Parts: sequence; C-alpha cells; structure tokens
Amino acid sequence: MIEVTDLEKKIGSVQALDKLSFRADDGKITGLLGPNGAGKTTCLRTVFGLLQADSGFAKIDNIDVAVEPMRAKQQLGLFPDPCGLYERLTPREYIQFFAELSGMEKQQAISATSNVLEKLQMGDIADRKSQGFSQGQRMKTALAQAIVHQPTNIILDEPTRGLDVMSTRILRDLLLMLKEQGHCVLFSSHVMQEVAALCDHVVVMASGKVVAEGSPQALCEQTQKETLEEAFIALIGSDEGLAA
Amino acid sequence: MIKLVQVLYKKEMLDASRDKRSVMAGLYYAIGAPIVMCLLFTILLKQLSSPEALEITVENSDAAPSLVSYLEGFDISHGKEGSAKAITLIIDEDYEQDMSQGRSARVTIVADKSDNKLIKSVRRLEAALARYNSEVAGLRLISRGIDPSIMRAINVQTHDQATPDSKGGMFLGIATLSIIIALFYSAMNLAIDTSAGERERNSLALLLSHPLSSTQIVLAKVAAIASYSMIGLVLVLIVSKFAYGMVPWEQLGFSINLDVMFILFCTLIGIPIALMSASLLVFVSFMAKSFKEAQSYVAFVLFVPIGLSMMTTYDIATDYVQWIPIAAQQYAMIEVIKGNELPLMQVILSSFGTLALFAIFTMLSSRMLKSEKVVFGL
Repeated sequence: MIEVTDLEKKIGSVQALDKLSFRADDGKITGLLGPNGAGKTTCLRTVFGLLQADSGFAKIDNIDVAVEPMRAKQQLGLFPDPCGLYERLTPREYIQFFAELSGMEKQQAISATSNVLEKLQMGDIADRKSQGFSQGQRMKTALAQAIVHQPTNIILDEPTRGLDVMSTRILRDLLLMLKEQGHCVLFSSHVMQEVAALCDHVVVMASGKVVAEGSPQALCEQTQKETLEEAFIALIGSDEGLAA
Repeated sequence: MIKLVQVLYKKEMLDASRDKRSVMAGLYYAIGAPIVMCLLFTILLKQLSSPEALEITVENSDAAPSLVSYLEGFDISHGKEGSAKAITLIIDEDYEQDMSQGRSARVTIVADKSDNKLIKSVRRLEAALARYNSEVAGLRLISRGIDPSIMRAINVQTHDQATPDSKGGMFLGIATLSIIIALFYSAMNLAIDTSAGERERNSLALLLSHPLSSTQIVLAKVAAIASYSMIGLVLVLIVSKFAYGMVPWEQLGFSINLDVMFILFCTLIGIPIALMSASLLVFVSFMAKSFKEAQSYVAFVLFVPIGLSMMTTYDIATDYVQWIPIAAQQYAMIEVIKGNELPLMQVILSSFGTLALFAIFTMLSSRMLKSEKVVFGL
C-alpha cells in the first residue's frame, strides 16, 4: 500500500507538488493520470525517497519513506523514466545485479532472474549487451528489474512509452497478474486507453494537485462524459499536454 | 552492508572491463610514460656528460698556434660564420713577440656579457684562458729557476661530496613522479564514467532508489577505480624496470635500477594513494553537473601530485613537505632507489594521512549523493 499525504515540493520556482494526497491499495492497479508537467514523476520520485518533500509525507506499507528509507525501499520495485540501463551489461546481468541489491542471495537472484526473463519472453535478448536495444527491449529490461524481487509495491513511471502492441499486451497481462497476486501497482501515464483498460482507481493530477479520483467509471459519471478522455479534459479544464 | 558493496563492486568492475577502449586509453599512459621518459633521459644524459663543442671567432689565430691548439683541447675552436657563437677572441698583433720576450701578451674577448645565453660560453673561454695563462707562467718561472708553487698562496681544493646517485636527483624526481601519476591517470576515464556518467545515463537515481546507502555506492565505486589504478601502477613499474634498464646511466656515474623489492614497496605504498586518488576523482566528478564539466575538473586534480612532486624534486621546504601525503611517499621511493635508509616514520604517517583523506573524500561524496540537486543535476 502506498499512501501520500499533503505532499508539497518546490523545484526551483515551480510548485511541483501542491498538497498532494492519494492512496494506492494492495491488490489494485492505481493510475496516476495527468498532462505533461503535472508533477507525476516528481510525485513518484518523492515516494522513492529520491526527492525530499518540503512538507507532508509518503508511506509505503505504513513506513514513512523519509524516516526509514531503507525499510520502505525494500517493499518497492521501480520502473523509472528514463530507464537507466547499463548499456554494457546484458539484461541477465542487469536484472540479477538489481535483484541482489534488493537483498536476494546470489542463487536466489539467479533463479528469479531466469524466471522473470522467461515470463517477459526475453530469452532471445537475455545475453546480449543492452547497447543498441530498441525502446521496447529497453522497457522490458527495466520492467524485469522492477519486478524481479517480487516487491509488494511496484511503481511504474510511464511504462508503455515506446512499446509495440505485443509488448503492451504482455505488460498489461503482467500488471493484471501482479494485481491478482495482491501487489499494489501504481503507475503514471498520460495515455487514456491504457489507464481506462487497466486501472481500478484513477488519480487525476494537474499542477501538482489531485483534481479528482475514483474508478474510470466513476470519473465518467462525475463529469457526465462517455469516455475517460473526455472526462479527463473536463476535469483538468484544457487539453494541454494530452498525447495520443 | 559489506555484501552489497561486493555486489556493487563486481558490477562496477564488469561494467568497466566491457568498456575496453577507455580502460586501454588510461593504461596507455602506464605503458607509454616510462618509454618516453627513457628516451628523454638518454638525450639529457648525452648533453650533460659531453659539453657541446664551442665555436667562436678567433682573429689572428696564426700568431698563437699553441694557444689555439690548447683551446681546441677544451673543445673551443674557430668556427665558420653562422655556426660560431657571437664571441670573438682577438689575438694581439704583437702577441708572438710579447710571448717570446716573456712579456704579457694581450688577447681580447669581445662578447655581450648581458646575453644570458652567451655568458656560460664566455666563462668557459675565460676559464680555459686562465688555465693556459697559469701553465705558461709556471713554465716561465721554472726557466728562471723559481718554484711555480710560489705563485699559489692558497691551494684551493674542492672535494665533491656528491655521490653518483645523489647527482641524479632530478632524474629520480621525474621518474618517481611518472610512477605516482599513473595512480591518478590510469583510472581517470573510469572515475568520470562511473560517477558523472552514471548520473547522465540516469542509472544513478535507479541505484539510489534501492535499499542501500550512498556510502556503499561510493565505496564500491572508489574500490573499483582504485583497482584499475593499481593495475596501472603495477604496469608502469614493470615497464619502467625494463625501460630504465636501457638508459645509459653510466655516462653520469649513477643508475636508476628498479629491483623487485622496489616494485613491491611501491605497490604497497601505492594502495593508500590509489584509494585517495579514486575518492578524490569521484568527489570531483560528482561536484560537476555534467560529464564534460567533470572532465575539466578531473584534469585539475593531476596538478596535486605534480605540484607536490616538484617540491620534493627541487628540495623546496623538504623538512615539511616530506611529511605530506604523496610527497612523502615519493621521497621514500627516491630514498629507496638511492639505497638510503627508508624514512619509515614519514611513510607510515603519510600513509595514514592519505587514508584519512580517502575517508574524508568518500564521506563528502556520499553526503553529496543524499542531495537531490546532485543526483538529478538540478
């Protein structure tokens, strides 16, 4: 479970987060929806303890990230934007490295890496250096890294960017499977279809604030629109920053 | 704690070893520097051991054949216009006559004594003439039945206390500096790549979002960089051993002979320096906001060992400098090569000092990694 309460964060002169509060429950997929520059990445980085909030707090499984960062981070898997690959390592080496960093023993990490490579159908690229990978192959590697240690909470920053149809479907199935297993999945996106298709709970963000939240269904009803996209536009008051 | 550092260290080593070109670029120094030094020393030694022939203009040389041949014995001779230096020795018209009659024969040196480049040659000519003068005067005294030693009221004798080895101070300074620099230079690319580069590739933020402390990350990076520095050091020592073996030291009467003991000694005292230089390089690269900026700063770092070494080589404030990290180790290396007693106290204290600097730089870097400004280059 990820809980964010009254987060405030100023970066330079921009108020990136402005009293942001929301909750992502276990066994649910929560979507953080907002136009470009709404503060989605800043919010996720704060949850990871990479940025320090000016006020407010973020809790992971009821552990305050600012107070006990080590324990809080053990419950997390991160799929960052940008991916942060090591170009000279192969996906197998890369994933195993992060598995060990997350506290797994070497043997355990090796078998967990093989499992996740198989699950994401990465057998053909597993032992090639990441240099020259396509965007989709990079995304898959980063995703494998995020879930290899089976964290209770998984945070994904724009996970579908650059994925082809097949990979998007794999990702979708994977997120649904994680949900089935009772994980808490939080992802940020600005792609409506994806959010509508996957999320149990949507948090709509604009200018660092929560504008509305609820299930996609509820948001449509609230704004009396037919699609999530129209509801979204009605909620944030413009179509600025909306990408296809 | 230690286990995570090991995991990180292994990854750093693997990552670096895959980047063959930049690793090799660093190690080229270790192979190239001793060879260049060897050539340089050979040329320098040749110049030092045989002074150049001095060509001047001698006017009316026919009048003084014995003086001219005496000067030729000191490699001073009449040269053609163009190659001769702007020094003219004029032998007086009456030279021959004065000489045969036992009078004082006049020779005149015409030269610009304010010209620094000439002054040494002028002195050389003057010294040669003075020697000729006293030889001829001695002969005249003997022919008149007087002991020439009567003209020597004081008998000046200089005992040169310089042992052959201590003459080589400058050579030793340069040779040992080139060895110490290897510790800084060999892993410079790696240091930038693993810190500023890691941030630019966005993997630093990902690393920090895992349950590990920034100190662990910095320690692993420093250890990996120091490992490559040590490879550079061992390489430079081995290449130096063979390269310096080929320099014709006997021309000057001393030799730089790097034996196995010296190589082991350098490797041992090199470990703290490698850790210190690695932590300094990481610190400096994290301070920079970009890869390019880091490259400029890291180049400045090289001035630290060069400056300290200059002070050791040219004996500036040696009493104090010999206790300072790097300078002390270099001083000890020079003493070991000379075969003098090892300044144990200095080596131990400065090695601890070096390790303390390593601890400080590591702490500063890991503190920087806690700042979001540094991590995201804001």
